[in-house]
Formats: sequence, structure tokens, C-alpha cells
Amino acid sequence: MTTKDKAGLIIDNISLAFGGVQAIHALSIEISEPEILGIIGPNGAGKTCILNCINGFYRPQKGHIFWRNEEITGLPPHKIAQLGIARAFQNLALYNGLSVLENLMAARHMKIKQNMVTGALYFGWARKEEIEHRKRVEEIIDFLEMEAIRNKMVGSLSYGQRKKVDLGRALSLEPDLLLLDEPMGGMGTDEKGDIARYIIDIYVYRKIPIIIVEHDMRVVMDICDRIVALDFGNKIAEGTPKEISKNHQVIAAYLGKGEER
Amino acid sequence: MTDNDTIPKLLYSCYQKYGDKKVAMRKKNFGIWQEYTWKDCYEHVKYFSLGLISLGFKRGDRVSIVGDNDPEWFWGEYAVQAIGGVAVGLYVDSIPSEIKYIVNHSDTRFILAKDEEQLDKILSLKGELPQIAKVIYWEDKGMWKYEEPLLMYWREVEEIGRKYDKSHPGFFEEEIEKVQPDDYAVLSYTSGTTGNPKGVIHTHRTALTCSRNQLKLFPWTEEDDYLSYLPPAWIGEQFLGIVGGLLAVPRINFPEEMDTVTENIREIAPRVLLFNPRLWESMAATVQAKMLDAVRINRFVYNLALKAGYEVIDYQMEKKKIPLVWRWMSRLADWIVFRHLRDRLGLSKIRFAVTGGGPLSPDCFRFFRAMGIPMVQEFGFSEILPVTGHANDQWDVDSIGQVAEGVQIKIGDDNEILVRSEGLCLGYYKNPEETKAKIVDGWFHTGDAGYVDKDGRLIYWDRVKDLIELASGAKFPPQYIEGKLKFSPYIRDCIVLGGKERQFVAAMIAMDFDISGRWAETHRLPYTTFTDLSQKQEIIDLIKKDINKVNQTLPEEQRVKKFISMHKEFDPDEAELTRTRKLRRSFMEERYKGIIEAIYSGQDVYSIESALVYRDGRTGVVKADIKINSLE
Repeated sequence: MTTKDKAGLIIDNISLAFGGVQAIHALSIEISEPEILGIIGPNGAGKTCILNCINGFYRPQKGHIFWRNEEITGLPPHKIAQLGIARAFQNLALYNGLSVLENLMAARHMKIKQNMVTGALYFGWARKEEIEHRKRVEEIIDFLEMEAIRNKMVGSLSYGQRKKVDLGRALSLEPDLLLLDEPMGGMGTDEKGDIARYIIDIYVYRKIPIIIVEHDMRVVMDICDRIVALDFGNKIAEGTPKEISKNHQVIAAYLGKGEER
Repeated sequence: MTDNDTIPKLLYSCYQKYGDKKVAMRKKNFGIWQEYTWKDCYEHVKYFSLGLISLGFKRGDRVSIVGDNDPEWFWGEYAVQAIGGVAVGLYVDSIPSEIKYIVNHSDTRFILAKDEEQLDKILSLKGELPQIAKVIYWEDKGMWKYEEPLLMYWREVEEIGRKYDKSHPGFFEEEIEKVQPDDYAVLSYTSGTTGNPKGVIHTHRTALTCSRNQLKLFPWTEEDDYLSYLPPAWIGEQFLGIVGGLLAVPRINFPEEMDTVTENIREIAPRVLLFNPRLWESMAATVQAKMLDAVRINRFVYNLALKAGYEVIDYQMEKKKIPLVWRWMSRLADWIVFRHLRDRLGLSKIRFAVTGGGPLSPDCFRFFRAMGIPMVQEFGFSEILPVTGHANDQWDVDSIGQVAEGVQIKIGDDNEILVRSEGLCLGYYKNPEETKAKIVDGWFHTGDAGYVDKDGRLIYWDRVKDLIELASGAKFPPQYIEGKLKFSPYIRDCIVLGGKERQFVAAMIAMDFDISGRWAETHRLPYTTFTDLSQKQEIIDLIKKDINKVNQTLPEEQRVKKFISMHKEFDPDEAELTRTRKLRRSFMEERYKGIIEAIYSGQDVYSIESALVYRDGRTGVVKADIKINSLE
């Protein structure tokens, strides 16, 4: 493969079907340099399926996914997470009974090297490690401006705040690739603006590739460097936001076809 | 450098005395309290000053500061003053046009701003602030998006200053020596309700005098913790936190974020706290709301404890001896309830709970006192602070406290309060007319009316322009008297009457139907409607008793001589009150012209026929005989 030397994510010709339903059809996407890649498409176009394939929830029937020159197709999700791919979910994946701080600390557990015994004794190196992790988590709390909710139970927070915590949870893995599944779903305009700002800040400060699946076209057009448009599992267009907004196929998929004249 | 007659000299002597042995400030960051010793503070100030000098700062330059309460705010002001500059505080929520006015009016050359939010506003004014040399920010989050040569990061400025110090050793200390007590230190812009804000000029001498006088009212020490929460642009925080911090040398605590303050205050447990009435009132409301949510047994115990608390403070207020029973009861209440409540509020160690910047409602004042929180009032102006305060636990809800040490008060024409002290500001920046109008022969004309009672306490009435004159030429403060009358549980609303053609003060009272009705029921007094109950002699006597009580506290010519009990409530739907329940005085006088004439012409009864507007828009007529009652 010619792209072998590029250290990024390569989705090579994958297909995924559930029985007779073709969710993804022969799709290839590459993201190697730090950029914000948007995936758009109407409902059921297969956007979330792609993320599920990348982080190992689904295994595509055909094709391969490479991450840093290593094939990750079919690896279990926790292995993929350890390789530096983190994800924030559309339908939140948080511990409602834990505080914001505890949720973020828990997310770091795969980075914690101490075992249960040394952790419980909280002594020497284990203690040092815990402090180091707490420091990283505090940086994320500061970054996402969550100081005021640090010790609140996640279950008691508003939906918008929980989305933010979920983003923080993904960030606390210190990922090299960040997958965001509708980070602004169900939010008000103000909250959307905040999240958009955070996403750009993450990109600027961490210089990592970010894949974002989002319905709000305005936001996608504003913050993405490149957009992939899907329709029924097929890639119908790829390009800069400007190119995409002029693409006839995309317009047709979103607005329906006009009458042939 | 021993005379400590300027703010920078004070800073220097704190640094000399405490060095790195004592923590001067701490701010929560990344979830941990970051501490700064006096040495740290001094060095930040020093290098920042020298950085400013390298950037072209000249003695006398004005520097505007805008941002939340942070050590950098304080350091920025100290730094500017140390090299002969003047600090101008801006409020965090100022809109761009206000920033533009103040920055241009004060001839500001440097702006220190906290973050993106403030910079966005400042940069939106870019072409309109021609004299600005640099805008320096102290929080760099999200700053990558600006490519603006005008901007500079705080740490870069300190870095330049460090280099400057290497090539000019001892320069900073010489600069401090050069600052004179009569140099301008602070321009404090007051938000005028009319017209543009005015820049009050305080020199090092006046600022230090004000701050020292304030510390005499609320003497704190090195051992105390202080929470800096109110905007440093406000004169109260200027003199208590920024200057007072150097004089009293407490540990100054900054909250992590403005919205984490309720959490942080508990960790700090400050001994001195300055809040404005709005904040105290919201704290009281939180307690009450939480108590409504509490389980029944807790609520029951809380209410009992509060009763004991109120009982005791009532004795204290009347300066009577507290009966042994209540003394024990209140101690029990404190042990069971209030001790824990105070801890919850972060007030477990509080020595001075100061309210300033406006009047705190007496109810709220009593509420905190009943909980054992040492609430004290401070009264002052941007021009001169403090004027009065509750010193040495001499507190009450009628007055705004005793005249502060070092301050003189005189009651001028129109009952205007005139104030004088060494801490009086020089006047208003670039506004000699206003200065001449407000400061006459060294006396500051406050525009507020009031009087000093026999115990030396200042009673605040009202703005001078709101006083009403009687035929005799005597004046009275209507709102003040109405406020006192409304303290009676039987009086819901009232309006006091007077005027140049009238001989005495009269009042129209709307009784509190709920409470009067309950009273009537327990005393087996039959009644049908509001109108009916309002004219019962028993109810009138109740009201009369309470008016008499109020009359005792008023000077002879201001006492209410006649009153009526209204046949209906004051109603916003009929435009008698505004939606916020403020009295619409002239409308009322017009509407009840007939009855008012009857009161002043000496009649005993007046038959009223008033049009009534029902909720569905229909109108009706109410007829009633209203008694006109005299007081002696």
C-alpha cells in the first residue's frame, strides 16, 4: 500500500450490512493530518456506523481500517481506545451516579498502571500517579470551564452540561484521534456555540485529527476543514465546505431531487 | 521608605516584613489553592511594572483594568501605582460604549484585561481608542485566534520587565520612592444614573485615609481570611480589598470562578466578607428555599430556632436585658441549628459580615442577626468612604450606623447630609463644574437627606429631591416614613401625604387583609368584606397603635397626624402601584383628591364612591363611609 508511510486513519473500502440493509457500501476515507473532518448525511445514511466501525463496535464485512499503519479492523473497542482513539457519544455514556470529576478520572483508568492493591493503599508511586492523573483531569475541567459542576453528580446535570462532560471524558483519554458523534445534538444555540469553540480549541491546542458527525449544517460548514457527504451508505461527495455546499448530489440528498427539466 | 504614605511604599514594607514567610493571596486554579507569598506578589508587581516601562509607560499614565477578581487585578493596580500611574477600574459587564467612554475620558494608555470575553469588546472598539499603546491580557485561553500586534500576554510583559531589571538594578525601588502622597492613585468611575459616568479622583493620601477609617470600623488582622468577590472596580473593594489588603495584611482569597463562589466560600470560611445587599438577600432566599424543601421535623426545629433568634435580637435592639430563658433557648438554637447553618453558608468563622453599596432590607438584616451572623452596615460614597457604619457591634436596623472615626457629618439646608474627612476625593476628573457643585468648602454634598439622632447615629431618609415640604416649611421623607409604617404587620401598603399648602402629614393605609382578618377571627370580630373590616374600630385601633409607635421615632413635624384605613388594597391593575409595587404618588393624589381634601379640611367621615374595574373588564361602583382618624 502506498499510503503505508502516512501515520493516520485509513478506511479502505469498507462495507457493512445488517441482513439486507446495506449500511455502508465500499467506503474509503483517509484522515492523516490534524484537521476537522465532518461527516454529513440524512438520517440513516450510515454516519454513526462509520464511527462504530472505527472504534470497534461493529466489524465491517469487507474492507480494512488502518490506524498508524496497523490494521485495527475487528479489534475490540478497549484495544482501539488504548491505541489513542477516543469517542464522545451521541447518547451519552457516563456514570450518572458519579460526579463529573469521578467520571473523568474513571475514564483515565486504562492509563492508570497501579493495581487495585497499591491503589487502595495509596502509597508511594500509586499516590504520585493518582496526583498526576488528577492534574490532567483538572486541566480538562479548566479547559471546558466545568469548575462549577466539578463535584456535581452527572445525573443531576442538564443535557447540555452532560454532553460537555462526555466530551471531557473523551478528552481525558488524551486521544490522538477524536471521534465526536453529534456533539451538539439537542442543544440550544448558545450551547452549540460553546461546543463549537471547544472543538476548534481542541484542534488548535492538541493538533489532532477530529472526526465529527453532526446534523447542524451551519456548524459543520463553519468549523470543518473537509466534509464527507453520505447517502444510503455511499460516499456521494468529499471536499471543502464550499465545494460541498455547491454539490448537486448533496443538495439532492438533503432537499430531494427537483423535477427533471 | 518607612512612612508608608503611599500604596507602593506599603507594598514594599509588606514585602520587607513578610517576604516568603506569609501567604498574601491565594486563588483556586485546577482545583487546588495556588498560594502567593508577599515575595511572589512583590516580584510579580515589580517585573510587571518594569515591563510596562519598557513598553513606553510614562509617569502619570492612566491604566484601565477589567476582569474578574484575580491576583493579577490587584498586582496590575499595585504595579501601575508603583511607577507613578493611575489605575482606572472597569466593570466586567461594561458594554463596549461604556468602555470606550471611560477609556477615552481617562486618557488611558494601557488596558489590562482578563480574557477573550473582555478582549473581544476592546478589539471591537479598535479604531476608536487611538491613544492605547498596548492591551495586556492575563488569561491566554482561546487566544490563538487573535493576530493583533496591540495584544500582549501578561507573562511576556513580566519577562521584558525581568530583562529591564537586569540592565537597571534598583530602578523599581527608586520609582516607588518618587511617588508622592498627593499623586493620583485611582480614578473610580461612578455609574451615574443620569448622564455620563464621573471619574472620582483619589490620591494615595485619600485612598489610604479612607481605607484606614474603614479598618477602624471593622478591625481585621493578619490572621483573618478575606474573600475578594465584589468587583475591584467598585470603590468598596478598592478600599477594603486592594488597599485594605496592604494595611491589615489578611490572606486574600479569590474564588476559582465567579460561579463557584458558594463552594469556595465554604472552603475559605472567611472572617471578613463584603457583599452588596443583593448578594446577602439572595443568600437569605437560598436558606429559606432550602428550608422549605427540608423534611418536616427539620423545618419545625429550624422555625423554633429562628423564633428564639428573633426574640433575642429584639431584646438586643431595644438594649434590654435578655431574660435567662431566651438566653438559654438561643444558645440551644445555635448549638442545634445555626452553628451548622453558618458552616453550610461558609460563615462559620465570620467576624464582620459587611453589607455596603445600598440599603439592606431590615428583614434580611434581622434574619442574619437571628442566625448569629454579625451583620454590619457600611455607608459611604465613591467620593468618601466610609461615612458611617455599625462599629463595635453597635447595630440596629433603624440607622445606618455611627459616624465613622475621622469623619465629620453636618446636616445642611434641605436636611442634606454633608460629609468631610481627610479621605474626601479631590473631585471629578476633567469635570470642574461638578466638582464645584458637590464639594463646597471641603464639605461633600451627598444629595441625600437624613439626620443624626441623639446617640450619634445617622438616620437615612431619602434623596433630597424626593423630600416633601409642608406649609410650615418643614420637610419630610415620604418613602422613609412609609417604609417604617409598612413594618407593621397590619399595614400592607400606605402613602403619606403632605405638600406646601398642607399643615401636617397624613397617611392613607391599606390594611393587610390576611393578617387583619386572622386577627379578627381569633378575636371573634365578625366581618364581611375588606371594606367592612377596614372600618371596624378594632382594626383602626390596631393600626393607630402601630402608627403611634412609628411617630415616636420621628421628629415632631414629621409625625403622622391623621390617617384613614382604605376601603380597598392598592392595586397595580388600577395603576395605583407599578408592576414592581412601587407607589405611583401623583396618580394616587389625583385619584383620591376628594378624600384627601376631606382629611385636611377636618371632616370625620367621608363617603366614597369609587369605580372598580373587575378582572374581566366590567366596571362597578363601591360605596363606603370611611372614617378619618386623628392621632395624638
